[in-house]
Amino acid sequence: MSRQKNRYEFMIALRFLLKGRGQTVLIVLGIAIGVAVQFFLASLIGGLQISLIDRTVGSAPHINILPADRIAKAINGGKNLSDNRKVLYEERTEIYSWQQYVRELKLDSRILYAAPAANGSGFIERGTSVVPVMVKGLTAPDGLDIYKIRKKTLSGNSELSSDSALLGKGIADRLTLAVGDKFFLRNNKGDQMFLRVGGIFDLGAAAGNDLVIISMDMVRSFFGIEGISVIEVQVKDVFAAEKISKEYARQYDRVKLESWQEKNRELLTALRSQSSSSDTIQFFVIISISLGIASVLGIAAVQKQRQLGILKAMGTTDRSASKIFVIQGFLLGSLGSVLGVFFGLLLAYGFVAGTGVNFGFEINSRTLVTPLVLAMLASVVASTIPARRAAKLSPIEVIRNG
Amino acid sequence: MADIVLKTNNLNKTYTGKVNTPVLFDININIERGSFTALIGPSGSGKSTLLNCLGLLDPQTSGEIVFDGKSITSQNVNELAGFRNANIGFIFQFHYLLPEFTAYENILLPFWIRSGKPTPEIEKEAQRIMDRIGVLKLKNKYISEISGGQQQRVSIARALINKPKLIFADEPTGNLDRESGSAVLKLMAELNHENNITLVMVTHDREVALKADHIYELVDGKICKYLDLKKIGKTEAAKAIEEQSCEIE
Repeated sequence: MSRQKNRYEFMIALRFLLKGRGQTVLIVLGIAIGVAVQFFLASLIGGLQISLIDRTVGSAPHINILPADRIAKAINGGKNLSDNRKVLYEERTEIYSWQQYVRELKLDSRILYAAPAANGSGFIERGTSVVPVMVKGLTAPDGLDIYKIRKKTLSGNSELSSDSALLGKGIADRLTLAVGDKFFLRNNKGDQMFLRVGGIFDLGAAAGNDLVIISMDMVRSFFGIEGISVIEVQVKDVFAAEKISKEYARQYDRVKLESWQEKNRELLTALRSQSSSSDTIQFFVIISISLGIASVLGIAAVQKQRQLGILKAMGTTDRSASKIFVIQGFLLGSLGSVLGVFFGLLLAYGFVAGTGVNFGFEINSRTLVTPLVLAMLASVVASTIPARRAAKLSPIEVIRNG
Repeated sequence: MADIVLKTNNLNKTYTGKVNTPVLFDININIERGSFTALIGPSGSGKSTLLNCLGLLDPQTSGEIVFDGKSITSQNVNELAGFRNANIGFIFQFHYLLPEFTAYENILLPFWIRSGKPTPEIEKEAQRIMDRIGVLKLKNKYISEISGGQQQRVSIARALINKPKLIFADEPTGNLDRESGSAVLKLMAELNHENNITLVMVTHDREVALKADHIYELVDGKICKYLDLKKIGKTEAAKAIEEQSCEIE
């Protein structure tokens, strides 16, 4: 019975909206534009942030496990004494027991890759010029995959062999090296290695593009590293890196863990202020939608006062009278927000087509559903103002005043 | 003893505001089931206010309204709304139909409010009433598309749909031309007899009042005359109405 009764309130609400078509169209458009702006803004900023983060850490380790630059403590039990002693004594500039760390890290389902790397700094000699370079020794495939080398190779291949090196685009350009060209790599002791350019990659960031990548074992022997320089970790959820890093830091007290967030505080602050400014705009858009609905339905409540009085004289309860307006709010909100998402999508595609931005919009359930639900909620909440007015109206006021 | 469907005990009504205006004073009336009662009196005598109090639209300031032997003074606003819906039909001077709905939908609204979506039986009944009242061909017309007399007929049909025990009419022909007015009145009198519906009507028109079974005349918010036409007959009643003095003080 009550469900059926609801239908009468629904029917009246719908009829009121349909009969006041001009007003209904205006408010639906108002809501739609508000929702479109919200959706557009959220997906634009979301897309921008994702692209920024991807550029910053998409092809870089999220967590670096570095040798502790303090005196490491011995850990008791489980390991043989000689290993511990070695750790105690030496594990300050290199990590020796890296295999154990990597094995353990790989078991964690939150971690995508964990690979050791050895770093060295040397010089490339080509013709008469000598250029200082950072040399990174990686393992295949995990080490390379952290840097997405395969995807980012511009020319040549992305394999690590004993006589070839992969060069960043920056250094290759400066030295006018192309795939197949040969050069000498020197270390600070004066030893030199003859290498061929196996491939040239573009990591997008300046620092990454000045790297020379060779196999880890070559770096270790060439630069005289006994252990490794760093364990590079990439996690599935970029934003969980700091938490995961802190977790492992409690466990691993012989090494130092550093997440990308710790290294990029400024970027994060910028992203956060961008988010909060977008939230502020969205908040005010919601407020303006609510005010719009409240005022239009408020006017409607006055306009429909006569009808409400008649309905009440015929037995409509206060609750039903207010329900008529809440339903109107809900209908306006639903229609407006669905239309708004549609407008927002058009706006987003139009924006991409018009300006040719090089990042994608972040269109997901959050950017899609949040403005939709918020606008609907705002509509219903705003409609409670005229609803209250409708509830309070006494039929006799209408009857007496004609 | 007469079968009383509605009675009042010392009903008083005062409009409160910056100045309190007393409108009705100690009204005691009895409405017989199936009868036609006319409330007459000069403008401002309080007859419409009395009708609105009887119809539970306007709460009395003091006194009691007894419906079928049961006092309904203590009910709250929503209970009163439900009570009105189930037991009372209204016909006002203005049609008070909803312009957003067709004639047919307007007629069904009281049923919809009471029980939800109309059943096939009630739809049939609505059509029967429309046919009886002569508005069946206007079924799908919106209120603005039909004449004043037709609008009033539709509002009569709406008052009948929930089979109320009482119909209150406040100058139902006040807004109509003479011809449509008398047709509407004739119809109401016929419906009163056909369906044994209790009809209480406020009217200015002495001719209309003389068609009633009972007449209450109000002057300055008090019952001035009560005439039982079955007892004294139409001629006596007509004479009594003409007299200036009040019988009941």
